[in-house]
Amino acid sequence: MAARAKGLILVALAVVAISASQRPATRIVSLVPALTEMLFAIGAGPQVVAVSSYDDFPPEAARLPRVGALLDPDVERILALRPDLVVTYGSQDTLETQLTNAGIRTFSYRHGGLETILTTLAELGAATGRTTDAARAVTNIRQQLDAVRTRVRGRSRPRVLLVFGREPRSLRQLYVSGGVGFLHEMLETAGGMNVFADVRRESVQPSSETLLARAPEIVLEIHENRTIAGAEADRERAVWGALASIPAVRNGRIHFLNGDYMTVPGPRVGLATEAFARALHPAAFQ
Amino acid sequence: MVLQVRQVSFSYEAGNGFSLRDVSLTVERGALTGLLGPNGCGKTTLLKLMAGVLWPEQGTIAFAGRRLTDIARRELARHVAVVPQETHPAFDYRVIEMVLMGRHPHLGAFALEGPDDLAIAHDALAATGTAHLAARAYMSLSGGEKQRVVIASALAQQPEVLLLDEPTASLDLAYQLEVAALLSRLNRERGVTIVLATHDLNLAASICGTLVLVREGRVLAQGATEAVLNGDTIRELYDVDAEVRFHDRSGHLTVVPIGRVR
Amino acid sequence: MTTTSSVAAPVDSGLRPIRVRLALILLGYGAVALAACLLAPLVGTTSISLARAFDRSIPFADNLDAQIFFLARLPRVLAGAVVGAALAAAGVVLQALLRNPLATPFTLGVSAGAALGAMLAISAGAAVGIGALSPVPLASLTGAFVAAAIVYTLATKPGRPMSTAVLLLAGVTLNSFFSALILFVQYMSDFAEAYRTVRWLMGDLDVGGVAPIAAVLPLVVLAFALFAVLPSSLNLLSVGADTAATRGVDVARTQRIAFFGATLATSAAVALAGPIGFVGIVVPHLVRLMTGVDHRITLPASALFGAAFLVGCDLVARTVLAPVEVPVGVVTAMIGGPFFLWLLVRKA
Repeated sequence: MAARAKGLILVALAVVAISASQRPATRIVSLVPALTEMLFAIGAGPQVVAVSSYDDFPPEAARLPRVGALLDPDVERILALRPDLVVTYGSQDTLETQLTNAGIRTFSYRHGGLETILTTLAELGAATGRTTDAARAVTNIRQQLDAVRTRVRGRSRPRVLLVFGREPRSLRQLYVSGGVGFLHEMLETAGGMNVFADVRRESVQPSSETLLARAPEIVLEIHENRTIAGAEADRERAVWGALASIPAVRNGRIHFLNGDYMTVPGPRVGLATEAFARALHPAAFQ
Repeated sequence: MVLQVRQVSFSYEAGNGFSLRDVSLTVERGALTGLLGPNGCGKTTLLKLMAGVLWPEQGTIAFAGRRLTDIARRELARHVAVVPQETHPAFDYRVIEMVLMGRHPHLGAFALEGPDDLAIAHDALAATGTAHLAARAYMSLSGGEKQRVVIASALAQQPEVLLLDEPTASLDLAYQLEVAALLSRLNRERGVTIVLATHDLNLAASICGTLVLVREGRVLAQGATEAVLNGDTIRELYDVDAEVRFHDRSGHLTVVPIGRVR
Repeated sequence: MTTTSSVAAPVDSGLRPIRVRLALILLGYGAVALAACLLAPLVGTTSISLARAFDRSIPFADNLDAQIFFLARLPRVLAGAVVGAALAAAGVVLQALLRNPLATPFTLGVSAGAALGAMLAISAGAAVGIGALSPVPLASLTGAFVAAAIVYTLATKPGRPMSTAVLLLAGVTLNSFFSALILFVQYMSDFAEAYRTVRWLMGDLDVGGVAPIAAVLPLVVLAFALFAVLPSSLNLLSVGADTAATRGVDVARTQRIAFFGATLATSAAVALAGPIGFVGIVVPHLVRLMTGVDHRITLPASALFGAAFLVGCDLVARTVLAPVEVPVGVVTAMIGGPFFLWLLVRKA
């Protein structure tokens, strides 16, 4: 009789433990801006109590207290907020250990492609008890991406150089997307062919020689911090004149894409992909 | 006279006392003069002033009747050469390169020496008995050899006046005698006017015809060695009781210190 | 004492006359530098045909070989030659000025100032340039000149020779202080900017055309014009400042010319390609091992050899791990470190 009672108690404890771990998070700290956006997109905004130093979308997130970021998370402040879920980068081992020791659940995230964005949305939905909203958000994004694919279907895919960083007024320190990662997948979805698709890295720093050899037909430059337009855009475009023989330069196909949502692998990725497609295939959007 | 120092005063740092105070002395052409005095008395400073490396705060220094301030540095270097107490080149020059540097005041801005300069350099090496060392690295030489090479490089300047700062201070006895003999020979056979600063009384007594005694930045006495070098002056200069005697075998005065003056 | 004496038979000094040696050196090292500059553009990650590159019948826009040769490789080799020559010559001059064979063009804090300027420009995303000088090189030049001005003011009293001890101390202090500031700027900037600053510090000869080279070339030319009057005086200066003065050298003037020339050359080199280390110390040492220590030889020889050396290092940098490029500063360090270890072992 005593053995059966012990067994029942154990099972009861197990059920309680399992349901405790699945209890939706009510006080969330997010160190990853992309995931902060996701949380707000699935309606879990009210449950977020603090964000990272680099969070500024949506505006509600920008008003929340900040607790550091990838390199300098403020453990004390995080603990002081008594969260029950902390969203971290996969590389923040020390932080995760500290939080686990304090009995706080962590959600560890690593950048991936477009699918990773969608699965992360679903996982966040489960963790915050907003599975329906998450599913709706996922469907939304899928629809946006499919709409883009439809528009550009059948059109010839230009060779594209996707630039996400360089020194102002110069072609030094050029950072472009390699054949891995969400930027690359956005580009391919938008009907472009990444000239560095064969490089198995997220970011590439090509030399002048490599740029000439790869001869892109279109250059897309992403500027997430500043809006480059007008005279300034002309000046920055003129900088490419140093490599005047690249097809993109010869044909004047250098486009600037402004907006912080361009480089955040979050819920606005559909919008960003559409922006890519508009630049690559303007005819498809008339 | 070839060098005249007139009422020269100099201090290294303003307000920190004078290194030299109202110093006047005359060096005659062809003389071998010793500047004698204890460490820190201002001998080296005086030499530097006479070479035009330092400028006096008060007074004037003239070479062959012309003020040093009126003579371009390069031109002065063609007449006055200095042998410093120690020479530590930062790079491993060869002996011949060290000596050829003495030709610098005679060459143009893009100084490339020619065969004449080489001949003069060889001559200078021969005069100091270091011709066989020409191809050697300077830093590989002994102390005496180094000193003689430095003298050779000064001779390559073809100076009328040679100023030396403690030429035998770091040398072994044999080399001391060697350098002393060399200087004496240069003075006698080539007519080089020599002024050497030293605290070695016997060196000064052995080769110098005239002496200038310097104590705490002032000239104590100057004149012919026999007249100036005696027990009284040495006591005043060094606070040391000493006997000055003519030594038959060596042929010059010798100084034997007896004890400190209390 | 003013007529040459007909005494001594010519002495075997083991050295040919200086004019002969200088001519041989200039020809020899000049040939090496020229060969490096002519051969390096032929080698790279993309194989090109020289015949096609020079084929005038193909329009430039369609001639990839010509594009790569003239737009990518040639400017890079030119930049390597200019930077290599400037850093090596500056190294020789500073080693003589500071009377220390271990001095480098970066000893007096110039490159730390340049780096700080560049860091600030990169972190702030500065977009203001002057002519062909884009923001980061311009800020780098500014930082370099500020650092040099500080060191100069500390070490100089008007009309008097510079104190080499103070120069060294000021340089070391400035290096430490600016390095701390650089770390601080890196820490405060966001992730992408921080990485960019780190990348800049590794050096990069892919300057993107001839324009950036032309922008700093006047500084380099001026520096070499200053260097041209120095070698004989540097010989004398390196034996001793007082000794040099008694041989007719205007010590204060020589020191100032050396300081300004070295500062100009180093600033220009760092502004163009970032702080590439070891060139300014390995090349002078190697050259001294081969030619002796006379500055009239080592200065031009180092400039020529420095050009060839850096062009060679850059060739290795862009081909050894192709298609990934190793920063050229890493290659020079990988050569420089073992070289100095070997020197140490040799001496011990």
